[in-house]
Amino acid sequence: MVRNRVALFLIAVALAASWGLPFLTHAPNRLLSGRPIALVSVLAGARWFVLLPVLLLAASPFFPTRRSAQLVVAASAAAFLVALVWLAGSEAAALAEAAPHAARTSLGSAFWIMLASTALMLHDELRRLGASALARSATYCAILVGIAALLAAGKLDQLSLLREYAGHRDVFTAALLRHALIVILALAPAIILGIPLGIAAERRHRLRGVLFPVLNLIQTIPSVALFGLLIAPLSGLAASFPALGAAGIGGVGVFPAVIALALYSLLPVARGAAAGLAAVPSAAVEAARAIGMTAAQVLRRVEAPLALPVILSGLRIAAVQAIGLTAVAALIGAGGLGAIMFQGLFANALDLVLLGVVPMIAMALLVDTFFSLAIAASNRVPR
Amino acid sequence: MTGRSLRWLALCGLLLFALRPEATAAQAPVRVASKIDTEGALLGNMMIALLEANGIKTVNKLQLGPTNIVRSAIIAGEIDLYPEYTGNGAVFFSMPSDPAWKNAKSGYEKVKELDRSANKLVWLQPAPANNTWVISLHRDLAAANHLATMTDFAGWVRGGGAVKLAASAEFVESPAALPSFEKTYDFKLKPSQLIVLAGGDTAVTMRAAAEQISGANAAMAYGTDGALDSLGLVVMSDAKGAQVIYAPAPLVRGGVLEAYPKMAELLEPVFRSLDEAALRRLNARIAVGGEEAREVAADYLRTKGFLK
Repeated sequence: MVRNRVALFLIAVALAASWGLPFLTHAPNRLLSGRPIALVSVLAGARWFVLLPVLLLAASPFFPTRRSAQLVVAASAAAFLVALVWLAGSEAAALAEAAPHAARTSLGSAFWIMLASTALMLHDELRRLGASALARSATYCAILVGIAALLAAGKLDQLSLLREYAGHRDVFTAALLRHALIVILALAPAIILGIPLGIAAERRHRLRGVLFPVLNLIQTIPSVALFGLLIAPLSGLAASFPALGAAGIGGVGVFPAVIALALYSLLPVARGAAAGLAAVPSAAVEAARAIGMTAAQVLRRVEAPLALPVILSGLRIAAVQAIGLTAVAALIGAGGLGAIMFQGLFANALDLVLLGVVPMIAMALLVDTFFSLAIAASNRVPR
Repeated sequence: MTGRSLRWLALCGLLLFALRPEATAAQAPVRVASKIDTEGALLGNMMIALLEANGIKTVNKLQLGPTNIVRSAIIAGEIDLYPEYTGNGAVFFSMPSDPAWKNAKSGYEKVKELDRSANKLVWLQPAPANNTWVISLHRDLAAANHLATMTDFAGWVRGGGAVKLAASAEFVESPAALPSFEKTYDFKLKPSQLIVLAGGDTAVTMRAAAEQISGANAAMAYGTDGALDSLGLVVMSDAKGAQVIYAPAPLVRGGVLEAYPKMAELLEPVFRSLDEAALRRLNARIAVGGEEAREVAADYLRTKGFLK
C-alpha cells in the first residue's frame, strides 16, 4: 500500500536519472565535452554502502505513517545527500590519478537530479513530521556541516568545480564579499524608504493609487536595461563633479547597481509594509485608541509587532530577489559572483559558471532560512 | 590672531598643499582594468605584475565588463589603464569602412591620434598580433580538401563544398565581418550553411566545430583564441586583408602616464614580444588548461626575463 505518493514519484525520477543519465562526465580539458560516467560504474567495492540509505528511501513510500519511520526516512535522506557529494568527489579523485593534469571531472545531470529529488524528499518528510522552522533549519545546517567537512578535508578537490575555485581563489572571496555588500547596500535604502512609503500608502488611498503602479512599472523594466539607463546620467554627473568620482560615484560599478537594486527592492518591501498594516485587526487598534494611546504609540506598540511577520515576508522576497539580480550587475562592472559567472559563460567553462551560481543559490537559501526563522519568531507575539 | 589659531591655519595650509591634485596623482595607484575575457585577464595581469615589480602601485579592477563598459569607465576617469584593440577605433569613432583600419600601422596611428585629441587617452606600443575574426575549419576537413587560406575556402564553397559554419549573429550580419569576407573572396554562404548563435562566444562556436555538434565543421573564431590548436581547428588565413586589424595595446589616461612616464618603456618590450603564436599558447593555458591567468602571466614574464 503506497502511503506516500510524492516520495514514490521522487524515487522513480531519481532511479530513472541514475540509470539513464551520467552521474559524472570526464573531459580531456576544460573546454571539450566529457564522456559520461554512469552511477553504477562508480559504485565499486566499499562504495556499495552508499546504497543502504537508498534502500531505506526506496522503501519509504510503503512505510507505515508512524513518527519513528518518518524520522528514519528523514535521517536517511539527509545522510544520502552527504554521501552523494562524497561519492562524486571520491570518484573524481580516483579518475584524476590516472588522467593528465588538464583533464576535468564534472558533475553530471544524474547527480543534480538525485540531489534535488532527495532534498525534496527530505523537505516533504520534515513537513509530514510537522517539524518546526528551527528543527528544519537545524537539519539543513547539519547537512551543510557535513558537506563543509568534506570540503575542508579536501575530498572534493578533484571535481572540476573545485578546480575552478582553486584557479580563482583570490577573486572568489572578493567577489563573494562584494556580492553581499551590494545586496546590503541596496536593501538599506529600500527598507528606509519602502516601509514608511508602504505604511503611508496603506493609510492614504490616493498615495496607494500612485505608488504601487509606479513601483510595478519599475519592476517590469529588465534589470540589464535599468543598469544601462543609469550609466549615462551617472557618468555625466561624475564628469561634472569630479569629487563625486573620487568618492566612488560613477556610471559604472557598485553605485548604479545599488541604485537599480534599491528601486527593484522597493516594491516587495512597500507591499509587505502595506499588507502587514492591513492585516492588523481593527479591534486591536480600536482597543489601543480606547485606552488613550496616541497614533504614534499605536503604530509602535500595537500595529508594528502585529504587522511584523508580513513585513519580514516582504523583506525576504526583496533580499532573495536582490541576491539574484546582483548577478547581472557584473555586466556594468559592479563585480560580485556574477563576474565569475559571466567569465565562465564567455569562456564556455561551465564549471566556472557553477562556481559563480552555486554560492549565489546557497546565499539565497541561507537568507531565506534566516527570514523563515525570523518570521516564525515574530509570529509568537509576546504578551 | 592668537598663536594657536595661527598654527592651525599653517597646518591646514600645509595639508592642502600636500593634497594638491598633482601630488595626489603621483601617489595615487594606477587602476588597471580589463575586459571580461581570457586575453583581457592575461594582458591585464601582465601589466599589473610588471608595474608592481617596478614600484608602481596598482589597483586590480580586471574583468570589469564588456567593451563599452570598460571604455566608458576610462573616459569617465574611473580606471586608468586597460588593454584595448586598435581596430575598435573603427567602432569608437564611427568610421567602420575606413581602409586605414585594415593596416596594422595606419590603424594604430589613426586611433592614437583620434583618442589623444578627443579623450586625452594614450595608446602605447601594440603587440604584433591580430585578434580579428577568422574562419577556422575542422582539421580533417581542411586536410581532405587542401584548404589553408580564405582563397582556398572561397573556391571550395563556390564549388559546392559542404560547409556548415557556426557563428554569432553579429558575425553574420555586421558588414565588417562575414559580408566583408564574402565580398573580398567572392563567395556566398547560404542560410542552410550557417548555424547562427546569439552571443559572440567563440569558445562555443569552436567547440561546435571540433565536436561537430549539429553538423558544424567550421567555426567563427578570433585570431588569438587559445583553443584553436588544442581543438584541432585550422585557421583560414586572410591574405587579402578583408578584416580590420585588432592589435592589443595598452590604453592609458594621459594624466596617469605623465605621473608615471616609465610605464611606457616598461610595457613596450612585453607587448612587442607577444605575437599571435605566443598569445594563442598563453590563452590556451588559461582557457583550455584551466590555469590561473595571474600564474600564466607571471610565468611568461619570468621566462622572457621581463620579471626577475
